[in-house]
Amino acid sequence: MATRDVTPSPAQPAWVIPALSTLGVLAALFAGLHLFGRAEGGFALSRAIGWAVPLLVAAAVGAFVPTQGGLKTRLPIAVMAALAVLMITALWVSDSAEIPDELPKEPKTLLSWLIGLPIAGAIAILFLPRQAPRVLQWTTLGTMLATLAASTALLRIPMGREFHFNQDFVWLESLGIRYHVALDGLSLWLVLLTTLTVPIATYASFGSIQSRMKDWCFSLLLLEGAMIGAFVSLDLFLFYVFWELMLVPMYVMIGIWGGTNRIKAAIKFFLYTMFGSVLMLGAILYLAYTYSKLTGSMSFDYFDLQRVLVPRNVQIWLFAAFTLSFVIKVPMFPVHTWLPDAHTEAPTAGSVILAAVMLKLGTYGYMRFCLGLFPESSGEFAANLAGVAVLGGIVYGALCAWKQDDVKRLVAYSSVAHLGYVMLGVFAATQSSMEGAVLQMINHGISTGALFLLVGVIYDRRHTRMLDQFGGLAKVMPVYAALFVVATLASVGLPLTNGFAGEFMVITGTAVSSRLGHFAGIQAVGAAIGVILGALYMLGVVQKMFFGPITKDENRHLDDMTRREVLALTPFVILIFVIGLFPNLLLNPMAGAVTRIRTDFEARIQSSPGPRYYTGPIKMLPRRPEAPAAPVPAPAKNAEVGGGS
Amino acid sequence: MMDLMFALSPFFVMGVGALALMLAEAFSRNKGGLALGTTAAFVASGVFAAAVWAQGVEPTVAASLAPWVLVDRFALFFQMLLCLGGALASLLAGGYLPEHHLDRGEFYSLLLFSTFGAMMLVAAGDLLTLFLGLETMSIGAYAMTAFRRASPRSAEAGLKYFLLGAFAAAVMLYGFALLYGVTGSTELGKIGDAIKAGASSNPLVIIALALILVGLAFKISAVPFHMWTPDAYEGAPTPGTTYMAVVVKSAAFAMMVRVLMTMFGDPQSTSWSSGWPPVLAWVALITMTVANLIAGRQDSVKRMLAYSSIAHAGYLLLGVVASVRAGAEANAAVMFYLLTYTVSTAGAFGALILCGSRGAEAVSYEDLAGIGRRHPAAALPFALFALSLAGIPPTAGFFGKYFLFKAAMGGGFYVLAIVAFLNSVLGAYYYLRVLVFMYMREPAAGAPIAKPMRSGYVGTALIISALLVLALGVLPGASLDVASAAAATFAPAK
Repeated sequence: MATRDVTPSPAQPAWVIPALSTLGVLAALFAGLHLFGRAEGGFALSRAIGWAVPLLVAAAVGAFVPTQGGLKTRLPIAVMAALAVLMITALWVSDSAEIPDELPKEPKTLLSWLIGLPIAGAIAILFLPRQAPRVLQWTTLGTMLATLAASTALLRIPMGREFHFNQDFVWLESLGIRYHVALDGLSLWLVLLTTLTVPIATYASFGSIQSRMKDWCFSLLLLEGAMIGAFVSLDLFLFYVFWELMLVPMYVMIGIWGGTNRIKAAIKFFLYTMFGSVLMLGAILYLAYTYSKLTGSMSFDYFDLQRVLVPRNVQIWLFAAFTLSFVIKVPMFPVHTWLPDAHTEAPTAGSVILAAVMLKLGTYGYMRFCLGLFPESSGEFAANLAGVAVLGGIVYGALCAWKQDDVKRLVAYSSVAHLGYVMLGVFAATQSSMEGAVLQMINHGISTGALFLLVGVIYDRRHTRMLDQFGGLAKVMPVYAALFVVATLASVGLPLTNGFAGEFMVITGTAVSSRLGHFAGIQAVGAAIGVILGALYMLGVVQKMFFGPITKDENRHLDDMTRREVLALTPFVILIFVIGLFPNLLLNPMAGAVTRIRTDFEARIQSSPGPRYYTGPIKMLPRRPEAPAAPVPAPAKNAEVGGGS
Repeated sequence: MMDLMFALSPFFVMGVGALALMLAEAFSRNKGGLALGTTAAFVASGVFAAAVWAQGVEPTVAASLAPWVLVDRFALFFQMLLCLGGALASLLAGGYLPEHHLDRGEFYSLLLFSTFGAMMLVAAGDLLTLFLGLETMSIGAYAMTAFRRASPRSAEAGLKYFLLGAFAAAVMLYGFALLYGVTGSTELGKIGDAIKAGASSNPLVIIALALILVGLAFKISAVPFHMWTPDAYEGAPTPGTTYMAVVVKSAAFAMMVRVLMTMFGDPQSTSWSSGWPPVLAWVALITMTVANLIAGRQDSVKRMLAYSSIAHAGYLLLGVVASVRAGAEANAAVMFYLLTYTVSTAGAFGALILCGSRGAEAVSYEDLAGIGRRHPAAALPFALFALSLAGIPPTAGFFGKYFLFKAAMGGGFYVLAIVAFLNSVLGAYYYLRVLVFMYMREPAAGAPIAKPMRSGYVGTALIISALLVLALGVLPGASLDVASAAAATFAPAK
C-alpha cells in the first residue's frame, strides 16, 4: 500500500527518508489492524476497528504526504485517501463472497437523477448573475459533486450480467420513441468515470479560466448531463439525441476558450463528428423502419432492434454507418485528424473531458451497438478492423507522437495509440481482451486526464508547450516532476500502475483470439511493439523536460504546483495505484456484462455461419431466453495481473 | 347563415381587422398601437381557424363553399400556421419600423392583406381563387420588399422580385389555361379526375404540368429559380424578409402540395403527367446542395439566411417527393417541418433585428462579432435558432428534419435521404459560423460596431419563438398529430 509515496523527488532528499520510515511504520500498523479486524469478525467492536482504522491510517498517510501547505491542502488529500481505502474495502470480493438473501432495492429513477441534476444545474446557471463568478463556480461544483455522490449509489447493486436501474416510459407515443435508460457493468464504470472526471476538470479549470464564467459553467454542466445520458440510453433515438447534444457545449468550449487556431479546430471537431452521426441516424431510421415492417409498430429500443435480422448485403451498410460514426469519435486512422487539432486548441479542462470521457463514447458505442446489433458484420470485419487498430492506431499513433514537438499534441497522439488497444481488445472479442479493453478505457481516462492536467499546469506558467523550451524542470518544480513521472509511467503501462493491467489483458486476449484468425499472433506482437514505442516517446518527454541542465533562463524561477492543481491531480494519482494494484475491483463488476455481450455475439454468429451468412428475407429473431439474474462469481483467471494484492 | 359565417370566420376576422387598422392608421397620429392591433388580428384569425378545426363545419356549408374556398383540415392547418408567422412578423415590425424611422402604417395593412391572400391560396379548390389568392399575397410581398423608399437596394429588390414574380405567375397562368383547355374545368378536383380518366396522355397536360412546376418552383425559390431570393431578402426591411421567408414560403408549399396531390396525385399511373416526382427529386437535390454550398460563402448574415431558406425549400421538396410513396406521412412531415422552420426562421431574423439599431444595422457576420458578450439577451436566442435551423437536438429543427428524412426513407428514397443527411452537415457549417462570430470573435479594431436595440415587441417575438423551438424539440408529438390529421385530407382511406 505504501508504494503510493515512494516516487522520489530528486530535489528534496532531506525529507524522503523520514517520510518513508514513517510510512513503513504506518503501513505495518495498518496491515496488522486490518488482519485483526478481518479475523475477529464476530465482535462488533473489532469489526468497527477493522473498518475504521484503515481509513484513519490512510487519512493520516494522505495528510502527511504534502511537504508543505496548510490544513487546506492536507485535509482534502486525507479525505481522498480515506475514500480510496473505503472504495477498496467496499468493492473487495472476498473468497467467501456471501450473496445476500435479498438484493438491495434499486432506486428506479437514479439514472434520471444523474442525467437531470447537471442539466438542471445548467439551467439554474442561466438565471444566476454574470457578475458573481464565485457563486457560479460553487453552484457548478456543488451540482457536480452531488452527481458524483449520487453516482456512487450505483456501486451498491451487484451488477451480474443484466441491466439494472431500468427506467422505461413512452416519450413520443406515435413514433415508438421511448425514454429507456439502464445500466450494466460496462456503462457503470463509464458513468462513474464521467462523474469523477468532470468535477476534477472543472475544479482545475477555475484556476486558469477567468473570462465568461457563466458560459463556461453552463457548457460544463450541459456536457456532463449529455455524456451520462449517452452512456445509459438504451433507446437508440434517445442515444442519438444525447450524442448530438454533447457536441454543442464541447464546440463552444474549444471555440471560446481555446488557443490561437481554436475556431478552425472547433468547427473541424463538430463537422467530423456530425458527418458520422447523421449517417448513423440514417441507419437507426432504417432499422426502426424494418422493425415496423415486421411488427407493425415503430421501435427504437435496443432490445427490439437487436432481434431484427437483415440480410448481409444490407447489414454491412448499416454496420458501416454505425462503425464510421464510432470510429470517428474514438478516433481511429484515417479519420483521426480532428483529434490532435481539437486537443491542442482546447482549454485544459476541455482536453481532459474530451480524452477521458468523450472518446470513450466511440469505444462504448462500438461495444454496445455494433456488437449488439450487427454481430455478423462485426465478426466478419473484426480481423480487418483489428489490423487498422494495430497499424493505424497503436503503431502509427505512437510514431506520430514520437515526432511531436508540442507536448499536448504528443499526448493527443498517444490517445490515438491507447484507444487502438481498446479497439483491438473489442475486435478480438475474447473475455480477457474485452475486459482489458473496458479497463483500458477507464485507465486511459485517468492517466491521460492526468497528463492533460499536467500539461495545462506548465502551459499556464510558460504559455508554451514546446519541448525544446523546457529542460531540468525537476530542479525547479519537484512536485510537478514527481506527479508527471507517475502519470507517464501509468500511461506507459508500468506494472503496479493501472496501464499495465489493461494492456496486458488486451495483448494476451488478442494472442489467443479465434476471431482474428491467423493474424491474431501478429497483431498481438504489433500491440506489444506499441508498448515499447509508448515507453520510448513518453520517457523521452520526461527526459527532455525534467532532467539535464536548465537550458532556459525563463524556467529558473517557475512556481511549483499550486494547491488547486495538487488537489485536482490527487484523485487521479490515487486511482492510478489503486487500479494498478487491485484491477479486480473494476473487473469483477464488469465481468458479467462483458460475458453477456460476448456470448450474445458468439451465439448470433454460431447460428448463421459462413461468409455469406444470411441472404434470406428480413426476419425477427425470437426473444432471448431470460438469463439467470444471480450475479456471476468472479472469474479467477485474472489473478496473475492482480498479483500485487 | 351563421354556419357559413363561422366557416369563413378566419377570413372575416382578418379582413375586418385589416380594414379597421387601415382606418385607425388614417385617423390617428399615434402609430404605436398598430403592431399590437395587427398581432391581435392575426391571433384572433388563428384562434377562429382553430375553432373551426375543433368544431368542424356542416357538410352542406362546406359543399356550398366548394370549390372556391375549401374548409378542410389541410387549409385550416395552414391558416393557423400563416397566422403564427404573420403574428411574429408583425411583432418584429413593431420593433423594427420605429427604430429605423420607417414607421408608416401601410406596412401593417400590407401584412394583413397579403396574409389574407395567402389564406385564400391555401384554401382554394379552384384555379381561379388559387390565382387570385396567389396574386393578392404576392403584391403585398412586392410592396413590402420595396418598403424602404430611401434605399436604392430596397427599390431594386422590390422591382426584381416584382418583375420575376409577375413573369413566373404568367407562366403558371399559362399552364392553368392549358389545363382548362384540355379538361374544360377550372376546378382542381375535376381536373384531377379528368387526368386520371385518361387526359394524362395529352401532350398539353404535360406542358401545363411543366409550366405549373416552373411557377411553383419560383414561389418556393428552388434552384434554378432562386435568383431573386437573396437580393429580395437582403433589400427588404427585415420584418418583410421574415414575412417572405415564413408566410409566403409556407403558403407556396401548401399550394404546391394541393395542386400536385389533387391534380397529378395518381402515382400508380405510369403516364408522363405523374412524372413530376423524379423532376422534383432532382430539383430537391440540386436546391439543397447548391444553396448550402453558396450559403457557406456569404459574408452577410441576411444573405446567408436567404440561402438557408432556399436549402430548406430543398429539404421540404424531399418530403413532397416522398409523398408519392409514403403518402400522408410525408405530407405531415412537410407540414411539421414548415412549422419548425417558421418559428426558427422568424426567431433568427428577430434576433438579427435585435442585434442592430438605426444606422448600425447588423448585416454581416462581422457585425455580430462579440455580441455574445456585449448583448447576451440577443445572442442566446440567436444561437438557439441557429442550432434549430442546423437540426441539432433538442430543438424543433431536429425533429423537423427527422420526420422529413424518416418519411423519405419510409418511401424508399435512400439515396435522397443520404444526400439530405450529408447536406445537413454542410448546413451546420454556416449556422455554426453565427455562433463563432457571436461568441468566439471580437470585433476588429475600428470596425463599425452594430449597437443592439431594445424593443419589447421583438423581445416578445423572440421569447415566443424560443419557447416554441424548445417545446417542439422536446415534445413534438401533439403538433405532429395535428399535422397528420391535416395531411389525412389527401389520403383517401387505403
